[in-house]
Amino acid sequence: MKKLLALTATLVMTTTMFAGCTGTKSSQTNQETKSIAEGEKGKSSSKEGITLTFGSHQSGLPTTGVVQSLAKEFEAETGIKVDFQISPDSQWRDLIKVKLNAGEAPDIFCVDADPLSLNGRILPELNCVPVTKEEFVSRMDKDVLPSISYNNEVYGITFPGKKMWFYVYNKDIFKELNLEIPKTYEQFKAVCQKIKDSGVTPIYEPTQNGWHQVLPLFESGPMYAKNHPGLYEKMNNNEMNLDDIPELLTIVKQLKEFSDLGFYGENFLSDTFENAKAAFANREVAMVLVEAGWAFEVIAEHPEMKLEQMGIFTMPWADNQMVGVNPASNAYFINKNSKNAEAALEFFRFLARPENLQKRFEGQPGLLELCWPEVPSRFPGEFKAYIDTLEKGTVMQAAVSYVDSQWMDVGKDLEDMYVGAVTPEQLVKIISDRRDEQAQLHNDPAWKK
Amino acid sequence: MNTKKIYPTYFALGAVIIYFMLCFLPGVLGLFYSLTDWNAYSNQMNYVGFKNYIDVFKGSSQYRTFIWNTLVFTVVTTILKTTAGLGMALVLTNDRTWVRNFHRLVIFSPQVMSYLVVGLVFKSLLHPSAGFVNNFFKDIGMNFMTKSWLTDLNLAFGTVMTVDTWKGAGYIMVIIIAALQAISPTYYEAASIDGASYLDKFKYITLPLLKPILVSATVLNVTYGLRVFDMVYALTNGGPGNATGVINTAVYKEFSKGNYAMGTTLSSLLFAVVLALIYFIIKAMESKEVEI
Repeated sequence: MKKLLALTATLVMTTTMFAGCTGTKSSQTNQETKSIAEGEKGKSSSKEGITLTFGSHQSGLPTTGVVQSLAKEFEAETGIKVDFQISPDSQWRDLIKVKLNAGEAPDIFCVDADPLSLNGRILPELNCVPVTKEEFVSRMDKDVLPSISYNNEVYGITFPGKKMWFYVYNKDIFKELNLEIPKTYEQFKAVCQKIKDSGVTPIYEPTQNGWHQVLPLFESGPMYAKNHPGLYEKMNNNEMNLDDIPELLTIVKQLKEFSDLGFYGENFLSDTFENAKAAFANREVAMVLVEAGWAFEVIAEHPEMKLEQMGIFTMPWADNQMVGVNPASNAYFINKNSKNAEAALEFFRFLARPENLQKRFEGQPGLLELCWPEVPSRFPGEFKAYIDTLEKGTVMQAAVSYVDSQWMDVGKDLEDMYVGAVTPEQLVKIISDRRDEQAQLHNDPAWKK
Repeated sequence: MNTKKIYPTYFALGAVIIYFMLCFLPGVLGLFYSLTDWNAYSNQMNYVGFKNYIDVFKGSSQYRTFIWNTLVFTVVTTILKTTAGLGMALVLTNDRTWVRNFHRLVIFSPQVMSYLVVGLVFKSLLHPSAGFVNNFFKDIGMNFMTKSWLTDLNLAFGTVMTVDTWKGAGYIMVIIIAALQAISPTYYEAASIDGASYLDKFKYITLPLLKPILVSATVLNVTYGLRVFDMVYALTNGGPGNATGVINTAVYKEFSKGNYAMGTTLSSLLFAVVLALIYFIIKAMESKEVEI
């Protein structure tokens, strides 16, 4: 009986295997026939059947799916499909570099782009198709072009406007507890203590994504630069390093103190940025460090929340009262080794059409401005009034070399500090040393003096 | 020398050339690159001697933590997988065990799953607030057992090793079952007549006859353990911080940074350690034919 069963199973499996092979063959033949037929139709239809691979990290694409919707429209118009491959934030920077180095990068890839790290991150001359002569380049904000350029060639396309990070807070909770916006670290600590005592987690600090926890260190750059004139230049000339900035160490110590006081909640080392909206809307947390436009994303996903319930204030770490402005954001690049580079370029032209820019802007409520001056910004009056009162400066990662390139490593170092594996002093030493190490790897002339 | 052999030596030439080109040469080239400053940012490559090797071991280098983690992972998972595999194999070859084949299938099934899938599933199961494990403990009133499995410095590495053991023990079990079934029952019958207990039979018959297969299992586990990457990457990505980083996550990191020379240095070290360990394991476990 067993033998009979085994024999039947073998026969069935063998038949299925052959059937599978035949199926593949016939489908291949069909495809071949199809492509030949299409080839005869003419040049434009020859693009049908092309599938562009688009690699990105989670934060690189709007969560609303507006880019995917635009890609569908592009497919309907041209027949070119776009296959999105999205990786976790914490893995993408390493992954895309490995893929580029191994010659396996997708046709289009999205990376965080800034003038100082672009070359180190993707070696654009080697890996990207230049787009300098494209019409859309002239329509982008001139301030963002350095972020996507290298040696006078523009290599990418980018959409978000300049970035500024604030604590978005729940006004209802502040009102109920009779709290004011904190302007110093001590006030911030007192506010968090009261919120914690009321049973609400004061701050949502997701470390799983790897990048969010690093923001206070380098977004406070304008304050460091104000206290130490010529700081950025000195750092780029290797005359100062991160461990020469006492305020940076102060902030690192304060972050640790907040973690020890339980202001980030019990499980913040497992929290992800994507869950921040739900936690905020459900009053599980009172504050989240985000871009101001995030408030609209909360409203879009949780319509019960109203804009009037949300306010913003700048990070009061080390008594900072300035706000860092980052002209750089994520940008899309075309893989130079892609067989479909021309189709990818066509997709870029499609995305840059005025009507599609508008669609993209409308489809991403969290974005308050695009880096395309033809699309007007939409900062709410109250937010704009507050931002106008703040002194501004460029964030450190956009002005100082070898800072952004180690962003994710610093995220891990901070995790190390939160779990007690390193002290704040050791952390600052580690990130300073890593800067030196990266400069030497890049053969930076300033490090050879 | 066997002069009556059927095939001449040059018949092996094809295999030797392929092995040399695909296995030996890249290994030697790796050793060569580890003595240079090869990186993604320069077309020039300069000889730097043993600088990269010195960097691995000097000062407060994190690499030593990664090397230590790799060794701990290898030793612990090898012991756990072999012990668990042997235990389950003994139970599942016992005639009194009910639906043995079904149990074998269930225990072996994690082996066919991808490491990334296992990693993501367990990441979700072990989430401190939303995960199944902690919620299960809460539901049965064992709140003291709810932990931050993957983010607590004292637990994370143990959790990774446990999940890896869960995935790999079934494979070792299957190998051992095959070996157990090959042992002739006459030995056990004779021992029973002589009044040997179950433990005596295990000690004097089963274990000695399983020795060759245990050597193979150990070699497999050790080589896997030293080269581990996927499980750590998927579960913790080396975190919290760098607490669960291993050599291959560091190699990956160095390659992604464009520091190819350091990547090849770490790979070369791993290569040397694997070779040395395997040699000693085989030597240590090698013995004359078992006599009963």
